[in-house]
Amino acid sequence: MRIRVLAWITFLSLLRNKLIVLFFGVFLGIVLLMSSPLLAMKSMSADNQVQAQAMIVNLLSLITAMVSGFGSLLAAWSAADAVASEMKTGTILAILARPVRRWEFLLAKYCGVLMLMAIYVAFMFAVDIILARIAGQRIVTSPWLLLVYPMVRYGIYAALAMWLVTAMHPVFAFVAVMFAGLLANMVSPESLGAAFLPQWLRTGLFYVLPSLNLLSEDRFLAITAATLKQTPWNEHAIALAHGLDYALVALLLAAFSFRRRSLARD
Amino acid sequence: MTTALEFSGVTKVYKRVFSEERVQALTNVSFAVSPGEVCGFLGPNGAGKTTSIGILMGFLFPNSGQVRVLDCPPGDVRAKAQIGFLPENFAFYKFLTGPKLLALHLALSGRRVGDPTGFIAGLLAQVKLAGYESLRVGRYSRGMVQRLGIAQALVGDPQLLVFDEPTSGLDPAGRKDVLELVRSLKQAGKTVFFSSHILPEVEQICDRVVILDRGRLVRAGRMDEILAAGGRVEIIADSLPADFDTVLAAGAEHTPQGIRLLVDAARKREVIETLWAAGCDVIRVNPVKDSLEEVFLHTVGGAS
Repeated sequence: MRIRVLAWITFLSLLRNKLIVLFFGVFLGIVLLMSSPLLAMKSMSADNQVQAQAMIVNLLSLITAMVSGFGSLLAAWSAADAVASEMKTGTILAILARPVRRWEFLLAKYCGVLMLMAIYVAFMFAVDIILARIAGQRIVTSPWLLLVYPMVRYGIYAALAMWLVTAMHPVFAFVAVMFAGLLANMVSPESLGAAFLPQWLRTGLFYVLPSLNLLSEDRFLAITAATLKQTPWNEHAIALAHGLDYALVALLLAAFSFRRRSLARD
Repeated sequence: MTTALEFSGVTKVYKRVFSEERVQALTNVSFAVSPGEVCGFLGPNGAGKTTSIGILMGFLFPNSGQVRVLDCPPGDVRAKAQIGFLPENFAFYKFLTGPKLLALHLALSGRRVGDPTGFIAGLLAQVKLAGYESLRVGRYSRGMVQRLGIAQALVGDPQLLVFDEPTSGLDPAGRKDVLELVRSLKQAGKTVFFSSHILPEVEQICDRVVILDRGRLVRAGRMDEILAAGGRVEIIADSLPADFDTVLAAGAEHTPQGIRLLVDAARKREVIETLWAAGCDVIRVNPVKDSLEEVFLHTVGGAS
């Protein structure tokens, strides 16, 4: 009951957070701007139809990746801000004076952030479908893949940010989470981004950092008329369990770190 | 339960990470408040009052010493279920209205009431916020926020109320209302522990006083004992001998009743006998009861 009430109030607070509203506004603007060349390409003459189709597919992939990546920023910032703003304004004092345990407070904040991210994922899904429809393309995938995979990925980002913000300024926590995500991509076996690092370090970092490639819906997404790669259920289950496990570990670390955190107003 | 709250040798040092900077906020502070008492928590700015309240509520952790609140360690949910707390600057979710904020705190307190809407309306009326139900809290004045903070502290029908500066931001009428409220809470058998800088108010309503100065406990006890413990008597005589104590003579005051001397209680007999021996007439001897403000200023050396 208490967690539900606090999660709801967190969600309402996030919806009114000026920075998050600004994030959404800028993001929507960028999507609309990128849709403009999409429409232009669609109206190209029949002579260039093949070339135009290839460009449209590339642009759609770019928009989809951008929408997905933006969600990571939103999840990390929302989680960091949901805790930090309570500590900064002092609202946390009146809340934790109630019979609410600290881990319950953190869990409620986390649930509130996930509620926001659920809306974002639904929005992202709608944008993907609408843009593909405008461009005359088909998104070949199961809807649940486009909904569940990003949610788990954002869950990891939010939990990591929540853990870090119990020990540092929200901006630093946000940057650290983004850096961890970037580094995880660079050290993944299929990437050549961090080739200068010794192999043992790359392997170590790959296991410690959140390997978000595994949790990318792009693995199962094709914006063409091609057939969907058939993936067995157990592979989905393992990938999602990995992500949920990572988020849980980060959330437990957050609860442990927050257990003895002094709550003097920042 | 023998004590509502108890500090035993509590020390708190603030340290910054990667810094040598240390602030000794509390040093070996010990005191206790019994159930049903109203206790004033006094001290100049920076004395450690808010730190003590933070420790009491489980927001801060002492470096050494023990704190018990309603027979539980600070921060224990069993204790928190019976505590109503008003922070120094009550902060809130600005987008909520007063009734919604109170409904949130009612839900968090775990208290079940038959008619929540009527209960919240009653609380708002009690703190004189009736008529502002549709106004968002972000648009409240400072005094209204403080009243709402008091209402949220009362929402769970607590046994112990911890108020950090409950009258700050209130006009004289608002302060009077808060004092009346504390009196009514006392009559209802609640324990009230509150910090304040407005000493005449504390003197009016408190059974017990705890005074801190620079993180150390400098005075604690029942109000009547503290006020009477000034240990001075007023002696009124018709005249003073020529060879009278020069220090006392310098402080003597001429009144219509005679010459007024303020003397430590320990020297009462000596001074009276000196006056009698010199043939002076002692008209009146009265114990002097200090005001809390005088006791406070004397205790903390006028540091406030």
